Amino acid sequence: MSSDNEIIRRSRDNPATFSELYDRHAAIIHRYAARRVGEHAADDIMSETFLVAFERRADFDDSRDDARPWLYGIATTLLKKHARLEARAWKGLIAAGAAELDHDAIDALGSRVDAELAVKKLASALKRMPTRDRDTLLLYAWGDLDYEGVAQALDVPIGTVRSRLNRARLTLRASTSRGQAPDKEVDHGRTDPASQGA
Amino acid sequence: MDELTLLRKVRNDVADPTTEALTAGRAALFNTINGVEPVRRTRRRGVKIAGLSALGAGVLTVALVATNMAGLADWRGGADPAAADALHSAALAAIETSDPVVGPGQYLQVSTTMMGATALQTDVARANYLYVAKDELFIPSDRDEDWVWNRHPSEIYKTFGPTSAALAEEFNEDDLGDELLRAPAGRFYGERAAGGYGDLEDLPRDPADLLRHIYLETAGKSNSPEDAAIVFIADRLRTGVVPADIRATLYNAAAMIPGVTITENQATLDGRTGVAIGRDQPNVDRQELIIDPETGMFIGERRVTLTGYEEIPAGTVIGWSAVTTTVVDSAPEGGTVNGKSEGNG
Repeated sequence: MSSDNEIIRRSRDNPATFSELYDRHAAIIHRYAARRVGEHAADDIMSETFLVAFERRADFDDSRDDARPWLYGIATTLLKKHARLEARAWKGLIAAGAAELDHDAIDALGSRVDAELAVKKLASALKRMPTRDRDTLLLYAWGDLDYEGVAQALDVPIGTVRSRLNRARLTLRASTSRGQAPDKEVDHGRTDPASQGA
Repeated sequence: MDELTLLRKVRNDVADPTTEALTAGRAALFNTINGVEPVRRTRRRGVKIAGLSALGAGVLTVALVATNMAGLADWRGGADPAAADALHSAALAAIETSDPVVGPGQYLQVSTTMMGATALQTDVARANYLYVAKDELFIPSDRDEDWVWNRHPSEIYKTFGPTSAALAEEFNEDDLGDELLRAPAGRFYGERAAGGYGDLEDLPRDPADLLRHIYLETAGKSNSPEDAAIVFIADRLRTGVVPADIRATLYNAAAMIPGVTITENQATLDGRTGVAIGRDQPNVDRQELIIDPETGMFIGERRVTLTGYEEIPAGTVIGWSAVTTTVVDSAPEGGTVNGKSEGNG
């Protein structure tokens, strides 16, 4: 089977080849987008990601044999158009709670009540998190990329990925630890811009 | 369970893309590969926010092969005579109207008001409501230069009972406020240049050819070829940037779609009145175009559910968009490529 960079290289002379990349990766891009903004909007994100990728195929770094970080990066930028929808979706997750976990996960958390609270807290934290931290975290957790892949997707140094992930995980851990009530309030505005520099 | 494991398990059961979505995406890609610009703006029948899945719109796949589809425009007949008359006179008027000229340094301002339906679901309640949102797009005379897009937050338009009202109130408040975007060639959010407006110039200028083109392009993607055709035409017109000659071709093509009738003589949309011309897709909805036959001006489009669903009664208008286009000397200052999330992402 050809690696992704071979497909992209061949597509520069024979554009139709590019559809192999779609058949290989469309479903995972859809899945990532659907978890953030819902299946309906994910249809558009999936399609547009590959149209943008095709248009920019000359920019792809041929030394990388996996195109997934590049595709996830394009999708992550396109998702910003749906920021309002995503904000509502996080609110929806706060409201839905354990309804968005499978039974095994609920069992692992002890009880439905515990699971309910854990998801509500997690969703509140995600909703309030600075966009760049949340993008980094979700590419890692839902996009299943490693640090290097996230760095490629967001076009930032790997050290930046590390510090953003550390910060995001600390935020989640603090919010999901026992004893804190979920914050059901609206975003109180952005946190100190200086703290978002990395 | 640590926080990352929990996060990985949240929404882990999202559905795979549907065959229709995968096929449509592949077709759009092939169109781009073959140099035919696909239009990405598709209409939405409603989005379930909390549970994050599409409302079942009952889309039936049309299993007709392309060679059969090509003949459809010729043998299927056409619109009801009164509707065809209104469309033909609008087409004539459109041709006689000269489009406003966007001089150097000026902008074409496209102002859109859009109403749509949203379904909300929490673990204890499910409800639908209607929302309305406005935006203004400023397209520069040189389309490679900066486009500016001002998106306003959505407001609740209509609710259906106490649960609907409560959920709408809880979910519709919008933390983001206005969002001002600026991007060369209209590449907002990293999209392609002028995304969505690109295929207009490539459309056939003969109405029958255009209708054949639409039937071929939409084969298998809608409830019926006729429904796909009227929706295709509405989707192009509501961009607000269709030149007069192409607008006329779209009107004339609509006059050739069987089942198209005048649905309301005095239809008011966002304060403007025109004639509503549309087509019922049995057991689904009615797609209408609202036009001024005297001037050929496109006022907007709207959709009416014929069956109703959940708490929304049959006959409810579940979506409309109204568009006005003017030439202006300036666009708002500021704005970023990714809007609100720029400084934060």
